[in-house]
Amino acid sequence: MTGALLGPHLTVVVGGGGVGKTTLAAALALGSASEGRRTLVMTIDPSLRLKDALGVSEEARDEPVRVMAEGAGLLDAALLDARRTFDRLIRTYAPDLAAAERIFSNRFYQDMAGRLSGILEYMAMERLFEMQASGRYERIILDTPPTRQALDFLQAPDHMMNLVDSRAIRFALDPWWDDARRKNLAFRIAAKGAMELADRVIGRRFLMDVVEFIRAFAPLFDGFRSRAEEVRDLLKAPGTRFLLVAGPGPDRVPDAMFFLRKLKETGHRTGPILVNQVHPDPGPGAGPGPALVRYLADRDQRGLALLRSLFPGEKVVVPVALEPVPPTDLQALGRLYQKLAAARPG
Amino acid sequence: MDRTALDRLAGRKLVVVTGKGGTGKTTLAAVLGRLMAGRGKRVLLLEVDPRESLHQALGTEPSGGAVVPAGGGLWIQNLQPAAVIEALVHEKVPIPFLARKITESVGYRQFVDGAPGLKETALLGHAYRILEGKRSSDMVIVDAPATGHGATMLAAPGLLAQAAKGGQLGAMAAELAAYLADGSRCGVMLTTLAEEMPVQETLELIERLRAGQDLRPDLVVVNGMYPELCGADRGPGLWQARRLLNEAELARLTAAWDGPLAELPLLPLDRGPALVAALAPLLAAAP
Repeated sequence: MTGALLGPHLTVVVGGGGVGKTTLAAALALGSASEGRRTLVMTIDPSLRLKDALGVSEEARDEPVRVMAEGAGLLDAALLDARRTFDRLIRTYAPDLAAAERIFSNRFYQDMAGRLSGILEYMAMERLFEMQASGRYERIILDTPPTRQALDFLQAPDHMMNLVDSRAIRFALDPWWDDARRKNLAFRIAAKGAMELADRVIGRRFLMDVVEFIRAFAPLFDGFRSRAEEVRDLLKAPGTRFLLVAGPGPDRVPDAMFFLRKLKETGHRTGPILVNQVHPDPGPGAGPGPALVRYLADRDQRGLALLRSLFPGEKVVVPVALEPVPPTDLQALGRLYQKLAAARPG
Repeated sequence: MDRTALDRLAGRKLVVVTGKGGTGKTTLAAVLGRLMAGRGKRVLLLEVDPRESLHQALGTEPSGGAVVPAGGGLWIQNLQPAAVIEALVHEKVPIPFLARKITESVGYRQFVDGAPGLKETALLGHAYRILEGKRSSDMVIVDAPATGHGATMLAAPGLLAQAAKGGQLGAMAAELAAYLADGSRCGVMLTTLAEEMPVQETLELIERLRAGQDLRPDLVVVNGMYPELCGADRGPGLWQARRLLNEAELARLTAAWDGPLAELPLLPLDRGPALVAALAPLLAAAP
């Protein structure tokens, strides 16, 4: 039943902020587990209510935590933590303890490891890869950060490869930074000019922090690079689907279009579009009712109609009705899954 | 004397509007812009999201980076940090060939992407220059990125000043950080919904602003409240459940936040000038 919505192996749930991605990801994962699959759901920042519903707490930041097991199926949940993943990768790829320590103690790393553009997203992918490679799960469902911006995480592996390849890094590794080294005169003068300019504008300390970080990081480059390539391939593998969750109403359609266009451009496979939080029709028996009730139902129908007209044929638009209250326990998540499984794509 | 939150906001020169995605942040930034322009100020609304939506709220042409008039003393501009930084390089390096050499180099791109707080500082620096340099506007309202990023934005100049201490860049960032820390010139308006995650993020953001920059929001706007239905119009159970959820989450918010708060109802209007016009008097009535 979940097969129509989930990828064979990996499902990446994407969408804008506040559309209910995390809850739907959890419900689908629970459904997959109750159908007898070994399933993992990885989420970025679930609400307290959802953490309670899944029965997980902070310990899930280090290792997946068992939510339920039933026959052959089981559900584990993991919380993503970019900084911890980054630290762990450094420990894994550093040739020795001293090399790892050199990075951890670098001021630039401490200030910015979690802030470099795309790093957060990249680390989510890294963690995903780790879990996939472990072979413990038949299905993995990844909830993503609400990057309305530009689906940063799709470019994250490329960003990482660019960073590792870039001339800036080779430049930093070049011994011209060391005053003691002798190079040919013209090069030293040019370098000195560039250095002085950078020094005046950026400040020497910052510059040296960055250079030191790059040097400390150099022994790890090859490991990072090959992993980044594998992560990129995994996202484009035949067993991977991107499941788009959209908000209701015509105002949200441009958002959905943006995500779908980006995914298509970058050669990723998309599944159906889940339109969440659709207000139900109050029905003819409800009388005139408050204008707002009627408006919201009409608005959400307009949104669905618009999406369907944009994606006729093979693409499917699956409406998911607004819940009276968000799920607070596994039973409620299970009911949500039943609704998803029964929803008729149309 | 200042009486309402709007009076206090009207006293600021730079107002940053931030909140979780899906809370109506852009529409509320537009509403604030209209209200402030209505007080006779020349107001520039800066949108940071590369995907423009501010123009839809106000019914103008998209900005595409240009300053576009939205009528009645209000202008909008969509601003991308990369473009601001590039313009700054061209200004500081007067030889176009050299400036181009710099902005086309790989090292430049890496630096712009990687330097902590550089992009955010560039955007706020742009607003600062409009207010204190060119003086082409009386007030700049920044429709900032969603919560997590919004807080990062306000912390950025301080962070950059620290990292790039000793250089010109660090000095510029330090000047901007001091400007932002001046509560009499800079204000913050937060937008949220009375639902669990938005309330949680709002409380965390209030705490981050307090601990990080000693900033206190001028106003927290709780948007999209489901109506209280009573009598024959009580409607289906779904509506009552959503209203009760709103009330419970609003109570959780007000238990932890004792500052100015505006409650705005869910209105039967699509995003656009009509919605902005309908919300304006309601926001103006905030305590």
